[in-house]
Amino acid sequence: MRWLHARRPAEFALTGVAALLMAAAPAGAAGDRALGAYLASECTGCHQISGRSSGGIPPIIGWPEEQFVAALDAYGRKQRDGTTMQTIAARLSRDEMTALAAYFGALAAKP
Amino acid sequence: MTATRRDLMAGFGTALAAGTLSAPAVLGQGRPRVVVVGGGPGGATAAKYLARDSRGAIAVTLVEENETYQSCFHSNLYIGGFKRYEEIVHRYDALASAYGIALVRSRATQIDRDRKEVVLGDGRRLPYDRLVLSPGIDLKYDSVAGWSKEAEEAMPHGWKPGRQTQLIREKLDAVPDGGTIVMIAPPNPYRCPPGPYERASMFAHVLKQSGRSKARIVILDPKESFSKQGVFMPDWEKRYGAMIEWLGPKVHDGITSVDPKTGTVVTGFETYENCAFVNVIPAQMAGAIARDAGLAPAGGYCTIDPATMKSVVDSDIIVLGDACHAGDMPKSAFSANNQAKVAAMVLRGELTGSPTFPARYFNTCWSLVDTDDAIKVGGRYEPRDGRIAAVETFISQPGESAEIRRQTQAENIAWYDAICADMFT
Repeated sequence: MRWLHARRPAEFALTGVAALLMAAAPAGAAGDRALGAYLASECTGCHQISGRSSGGIPPIIGWPEEQFVAALDAYGRKQRDGTTMQTIAARLSRDEMTALAAYFGALAAKP
Repeated sequence: MTATRRDLMAGFGTALAAGTLSAPAVLGQGRPRVVVVGGGPGGATAAKYLARDSRGAIAVTLVEENETYQSCFHSNLYIGGFKRYEEIVHRYDALASAYGIALVRSRATQIDRDRKEVVLGDGRRLPYDRLVLSPGIDLKYDSVAGWSKEAEEAMPHGWKPGRQTQLIREKLDAVPDGGTIVMIAPPNPYRCPPGPYERASMFAHVLKQSGRSKARIVILDPKESFSKQGVFMPDWEKRYGAMIEWLGPKVHDGITSVDPKTGTVVTGFETYENCAFVNVIPAQMAGAIARDAGLAPAGGYCTIDPATMKSVVDSDIIVLGDACHAGDMPKSAFSANNQAKVAAMVLRGELTGSPTFPARYFNTCWSLVDTDDAIKVGGRYEPRDGRIAAVETFISQPGESAEIRRQTQAENIAWYDAICADMFT
């Protein structure tokens, strides 16, 4: 994008291309990844992205995606105990759970 | 110090790639510049997410006057003897080495909104395209008659971390058996709503553990009620008997004055003389840099757009954390860290064209009452009717099992490790 190369860009009024990106909901796999990344940013306040855990809050990286979605779904239906996770899961749609499962499932533990 | 091209290349070798969609990284001159003021849970998180997720497309500078970050959250656990002081101290180095953030160790003293520059105490000026302000709170030293900045050693607040935190512990250690601690709690809105009551719990825990069970803690509160009151008070009685006494305004009839020289506290109802230790937690407001820039009314906090965390006064400026009015979200580290992610997403969208999504917010506040006995309160929030509104909340229940309380404390400990990793690594 040419405007990123400007010497001292005074403003960042969006170009036509960028405006289209913002205006339309991102579609397809790339959009799911971006959604997954944004939603995941909320999780990493409690679940370390490295996979490290001191016990009280479990690691959530590298899970099989079906298992991840099932866990969130169980919290959302209050079939699984834990008021914090129940509240979080209650507002996640199935698509959002899937996006999160894909995002975290792809991460490998850091030593 | 500015990140070199080599630093950026090395840093992003380790940056996480999964799930990030953004414009290709552009190195060198001409990148959009974001300056972040304040290296706490709002600022450090915003700086990291902006730098990491833009993969170098945004030049991020973090201005923080302290060499290390000493967390106010969990400082009560240090006071209670549950953590060593070193455990609440953190370094900023990884933000530079991993993400190419330019760390400026200086005090930001002024915002020149017309020229879009941050002015530092040494006179240097940092130009910005967007500014993230996360300066925390300032204390209203005139909010308790007889108390002042000069009195904050004799009657510490411990509401900003560092020396004040350690002073609180020193004063606690010097309380004799049978001595009286008076805590003056703050009026709303203030940093960390359950904080004073967690601290009173920690006082009682230390006194009881050290054989000083005849000491007592009197909380004088300008508020009619306090966060998690229905859960704290039965637990105090269970754990500490009559050691902690809470007095609301109807009982004490007004906090009249304090005398730091004699350790006296005068209320409409009673005078407490020769107090072993008086902990004054005063009224609070946004950090001066935000107020001086016209982003908050005198003595107040900054109003923000709930969908973006932008100041309603200046759309090039984001205000995070304790310095802003975040609607139903309390002033907490969790909230600041959470708001920072919305802000980073919004700014990346504006500056690099990356996708944006509707803002959503979450908070949990944990409070330790006694060993393996913690309680929590929290909720999820969304922009509604021009403010950040609570959609669903949860709170610990009185009479919960010991196992639930133990698990709540285990969560608390794990959360601290996670938020610090999120902020600093």
